[in-house]
Parts: sequence; C-alpha cells; structure tokens
Amino acid sequence: MTLLQISEPGKSTLPHERRRAIGIDLGTTNSLVASVINGTTSIIEQKNGSHLLPSVVHYGANKLIVGAQAKEIQTTDPENTVSSVKRLMGRSLIDLDAKQLPLKLKDCGEYIGIHTQQGLKNPVEVSSEILSQLKSIAEARLGDEIMGAVITVPAYFDDAQRQATKDAAKLAGINVLRLINEPTAAAVAYGLDQNPEGNYVIFDLGGGTFDISILRLSEGLFEVLATHGDAHLGGDDFDQAIVKWLCKNHNINTTDLVVKQTLISLAQKIKETLTTETEIHINETINSSIHIKTYLNQSLFENITKGLIQTTLISTQQALRDAKLSISDIQGVIMVGGSTRMPCVQKAVEAFFKQPLFNKLNPDEVVALGAAQQAHILSGNSSNNLLLLDVIPLSLGIETMGDIIERIIPRNSTIPIAKAQEFTTYKDGQSAMIIHVVQGERELVKDCRSLAKFTLKGIPPMVAGAAKIRVTFQVDADGLLSVSAKELSTGIASSIEVKPSYGLSDETIKTMLEASINLAEEDKESRALAEVKIEAQQLCELVDEALKKDHHLLDKKEILIIQKDLKELKEATRTSDRFLIQQLNEKLNQDSQSFAAKRMDQSIQKALTGKTINSLKL
Amino acid sequence: MTQNYFETFKLPTQFDIDLNALYCAYRLIQKTVHPDRFVSASQSEKTQSLMKSTEVNNAFQTLKQPLKRAEYLIKLNTKKETVTTSSDFLMKQMEWEEHLESITNKKIALNDFEKLIDVKYQDHLKRLTKMIDKDRDWSNAQSILNKLKFINKLKNKINQHINVLEDR
Repeated sequence: MTLLQISEPGKSTLPHERRRAIGIDLGTTNSLVASVINGTTSIIEQKNGSHLLPSVVHYGANKLIVGAQAKEIQTTDPENTVSSVKRLMGRSLIDLDAKQLPLKLKDCGEYIGIHTQQGLKNPVEVSSEILSQLKSIAEARLGDEIMGAVITVPAYFDDAQRQATKDAAKLAGINVLRLINEPTAAAVAYGLDQNPEGNYVIFDLGGGTFDISILRLSEGLFEVLATHGDAHLGGDDFDQAIVKWLCKNHNINTTDLVVKQTLISLAQKIKETLTTETEIHINETINSSIHIKTYLNQSLFENITKGLIQTTLISTQQALRDAKLSISDIQGVIMVGGSTRMPCVQKAVEAFFKQPLFNKLNPDEVVALGAAQQAHILSGNSSNNLLLLDVIPLSLGIETMGDIIERIIPRNSTIPIAKAQEFTTYKDGQSAMIIHVVQGERELVKDCRSLAKFTLKGIPPMVAGAAKIRVTFQVDADGLLSVSAKELSTGIASSIEVKPSYGLSDETIKTMLEASINLAEEDKESRALAEVKIEAQQLCELVDEALKKDHHLLDKKEILIIQKDLKELKEATRTSDRFLIQQLNEKLNQDSQSFAAKRMDQSIQKALTGKTINSLKL
Repeated sequence: MTQNYFETFKLPTQFDIDLNALYCAYRLIQKTVHPDRFVSASQSEKTQSLMKSTEVNNAFQTLKQPLKRAEYLIKLNTKKETVTTSSDFLMKQMEWEEHLESITNKKIALNDFEKLIDVKYQDHLKRLTKMIDKDRDWSNAQSILNKLKFINKLKNKINQHINVLEDR
C-alpha cells in the first residue's frame, strides 16, 4: 500500500531523495506526532501550540471534530463523542466491561460498533480519524510529503489489536514503516541520547494500557528480552477507582451517561491534583440531586488504588523471570506514560527496584520521540545503524482435539519468526480442514484469545492420514501473523481462507478505503495507474543499481533474464497498460528473487569477516 | 548452498560452542539481514530479508539452548532412533516427582531440592558433551538427552513452586 506517497503522476520520490518520516504515538488518552528535523527530534506542535492531541473524536450533526475541542464537547454530548477508542481496538463487546464507557455500543460480532449521529462507527474508523489529524499536523509543519510513519502499540497488544492499528493507518492513508512497541520506542529515545549498555526496565503506564519490558542494550542493538503487561490497565482505571469510591461514599447509583461522564471528569481532576498536591477538598454539584463534598489525601488515594499498583508489580516480577534476571541485574528503570507521574506509582516502583528512576524525558512524549527516531532510521535518513530486535508478547497456538492448545510459537520469541507444523486428514478423500489459531498463555482454548480460523481448501483426495499438509505460521517484524499451507506429497499449495475472529476483513477495509478516497471511477483508475508506475520505476532503479554493484554473483544467463525483464518493464511504464505493468513488476520481482538471496548471503559473509575483531571486544 | 545452523554462524558443528561467538555472529547477521534494513527495498529483497532474518532467529534459538542444540546435532547425525528409558531412571523420576509433591509449600526444602536437581543437570550435561563431541555415540547421547529433558522440566516445576511462594 503506497497511497500516501503519491501526489500526482510524474512527481515521484526517488529512493535517494531525502524523505520525511514521522513517529506516531497513538495513545488511549492523548496522541502525538514527532519527527527528526535538522537532526533534532521533536514533537510537532499543533496550530494552537500544544503537543498532545486528545484521542477524542466527536461526530457532530454535520461535522467531525478531533482533539481538544472534541474533548470539551464530550461532557455535554458524551453519546456522540468517542474517547479511549484504543481500548476497543481488535476487541469484541464481550471482552470488556462496556458499562464503564459512556457510549452506545453495538455487538457486531467480530468488532464493536459505536452508535453516533453520523451512523454506526467502528474503532478502526475512529482511530483513523485521529491518525488523519496527526498526519495533517505533521504535513502542516513539515511542508513535505510524508513517506511513512512508525506507529507505536502497547507491547502487550495481541495480533488482532495490532492488525486493527495497521488497518486504521491504512484507512488514514499512512504508509506504515513499522509498528513498534511503546516501551521499545521509549528505550530508543533514552538509549540514543545517552547510549548506556546493560539491562533496562521500561515501566509504561499509560491511559489505558500497562506494559513492562526488559531490554538489553549493547553495541547498537536493542534486544527485548521479555515483555509482560495488561492491555486493559491504565490511568482510566485509576479514574474508575476514584469514581467507584465516590459513588460508594455518596450512595450514587446512576445509569445516566452525562452524570457518569461528569464523575469521570471529576475523578481525573482529583487524580491530577494529587499528582502535585498532597490533598484535595472536593465540593461539587453533579446535578440537581447529587452533590459531592469530601476529602482525599495521598495515603487515602494509595489505598483506593493499591490493587491496581499490585497488578503492575506482579507483571513486572513475571517479566523479570521470563528474562531470567533479578533486580540486581537491572541498570536502570525508565518511566513512561502520563500515569507514572502519580507519586504512588513512582514510590512503589522505586521501592520494588531499590533504585532511583529514569524520568528525565517527559513521560507523555518519550514514546513519540523514540518512534520518530526509529522512523528516521528506517527511512534511511540516519547514519545510525541501531537495530531493534523485538519479541512476540503472547504465545501463538492452535486448537487440537478436546479444546487443548498446542503451542507453536512461545511468547518472548524474537521476531520475525516462523514455525511449521504438519497436519493430516482423518477421512478418506477429505479436501478441506479448519485450523483455529489462538493467542495466549492458558491451557484451554476458551481461556485464550481466538485470532482466526483458517480453512485449508483444495487438499488432493487421498486416503485418511496420507495427506501431509505443512502449515507455516510466520510472524513478521510488525508482530503480525500470516499463515501459508502446502500439501507435501503432491506439492500443491492449499489455498487459505482466513476468517479473523476479531476485527475487520480485508474486504471491509478495502470498501472503507475506497469510500474514503471518494473519487470518480476514472480518477481511481488514473490514481491506480500512477501508483503502479511509480512502483515499477522504483523497482527498476533498485534492480539496476543492484546489477551494477553485484553482477558478479550471477552467470550470464541469469543476467540476461533480469535485463530482459527490466527492459520490458521500462517500456511498459511508458504505456497506460496498468495490468501489463503490474504483471511485469511481479515477473521482475520473481526473477530477481535468487539474486536477492545471493546478495543477502554476500552481505552476511562480509559482516562476518570482521567478526574476530568484534568478538574480542566482548 | 544449504548450511547447517552452526555453519550459518561460522561455528564448528559440535556441542561445546563459544556462546559469546554465537551471540556476536548473530548480532552481526541480524544487523545485515533484518527487515528494518529493507524498508525501502524491492519486494524480492524484502522477502529474502524476512526469510533470512527468520531463519537466523530460529538458528540462534536452537543453538543458544543446550538441550535444543543437542537435539539438533543428534538429528543432523542420525536417522530417527527410538531409545527406551532405563527402568532405573523411571524409578528415579517417580521418586523425584513424589518428593516435589511433598514439599510444595516448604521454601527451604524447595531450594535444596532445586540445588540437588541442578547438580544432576550439570552432571548430565557434561556426559552429553562427551557423548556428542568425543565419542560421537548418538544412541547414548539421545538417551542422556531424554533424561536431561525430564530433569529440565522438573527444574522448571520446582521454580514455579518457588515463584508461587515468593508472590504470596
């Protein structure tokens, strides 16, 4: 998907031109966009000068408002104003305690529908509005076109949640360079700054999610050793804890959305006050029948939220165990996320690790800054050769007989990773089978998260048990799963039909995308043509350059094949035959596959030649 | 050119390897082949990068852990052989399991037992190294590996009980 890169035909971005890349922190409460500008990483300000864009979308009667203004409207019109949508990403209604949210939700099976006066919206659409807004903020400041973005997600996000985030970006017309984990991004922001070697803990408590990650930093490599957390624990829960306490002490029992929202706002105010002050006196009229007069201090607040903090520390302990480290092995603890400002959180974490915390960088901004630095590296603009090696946060498995899970890829495996598994038929002539993929650490299917059901079709007819189908599960560098299958005895690739358990199907995304672009048929065609042409030009340029540099890796015949493909493709780009260009594009890609492999092996050999020197360094 | 996992990292194909050298080679290769290095590359190079990076991760995970490394080496050198576990060891297994059941709530006893099992683990690991690298006796190596797998599982179980007590 290269939608973002295209402005108009003929104005292509060449691979060597400087290209702008941005980092986006798509948060539960607030979102930010950052970029490296003239060597300095900074948050891109909005017109009003603020850094944080509240992740709130208001669907007005005839207009759409995103950000601070939407947040203001929320108290008066909660029903048409969506906040904390990140909590709904890749989820279904039964996954969450929806009563907490002042919204009218609808169970759409695979996803959650939100009733607004502009019709039924899904979380991917709402998120894409926030992302579009961030993109415009960046474009306004940078002037240039943006070639792509690194978008952060909680490390603990499962496959469905990651996929939903990527879909939202697609819908907003953003080319995703990489999804990276929030704590890892924070480490990049700190690491590039001071470059300390050793083991670091990133304690990330945001608005709606909690992540703990343990990273080893050494010689230009950030390696995630373990990650743990809770995708449904954050500042929002501290607000809820206060609301519960208020309701209990004042005998409030209401279903009124406006009252609920007013109480949440009051709780937020209390929480924020207690971040800088030691106590707060509350004397507020909620509505004609409800008046709240009470007092709260640090230790009372600590008591109310004790359970929440304990949960974060248990996760921390688990992550340390997974990384096979103890507290004394930790060189530093980095605090990330607005919720780590709460004194009770700081105090608990400091006591747990028995050392002062790293909190030099603004905890609200550190993730976006790290994402921007990573985007800068990925887009090839940086001389820094830092590499991030991240892990898959939750184990992947498949359902076997009797509701039991067979684990295929264990959690904390470094990505990209692939595992193959062989299956056989149990009936004569069976031509299809269903594979149910789940994610989670529990033993039974019902306790894990269902990711997708794959139907393998076109298995050649054989007696029961004779067919051997190898199914490969590949997790890519974004942490996203894809599955392929092949029948081994005949070599026939079985086709796979994926029905995601959560989220939107590819078809739905495509329809939404087309609707959002809103072009006439002929415009669509000329846009699509321009797109493939640019893709073809870039490919030709890359292959030309590779040939010039590494033609010695190929024999004459191989060179001739590639040269012929190149010539044909270049000629085709001068025509308007979109399908021909596409076809030749694929052909060149296919024919240069083994050339690419040889080049890869060559660079490995080159890298390893310097090895003895480097191993002495260790 | 198909390489075995050891050759991928330019290491000798044997059980006793230099873990530092393995880690170092792993880092160098990942820095070269990782998909992050190919964000703006052609589709064919992206595919190769994903494949290679995946393969190197798999290779590293296999060689890093001694039991997986042994299993891989045995597989490289033999066709699948079935090895039966000696009845002596089966008795030992039952004895250990029963002992663990009786001490799940006693922290000191658990720690002592963990130490004892760890000694067994190290001892078997030494024998395994000799069987593979010196004697090249694959059938005995497989038999020791099976015992080691059991011992390793037992170690994990003991640790889980210790963790549960610590979390209380």
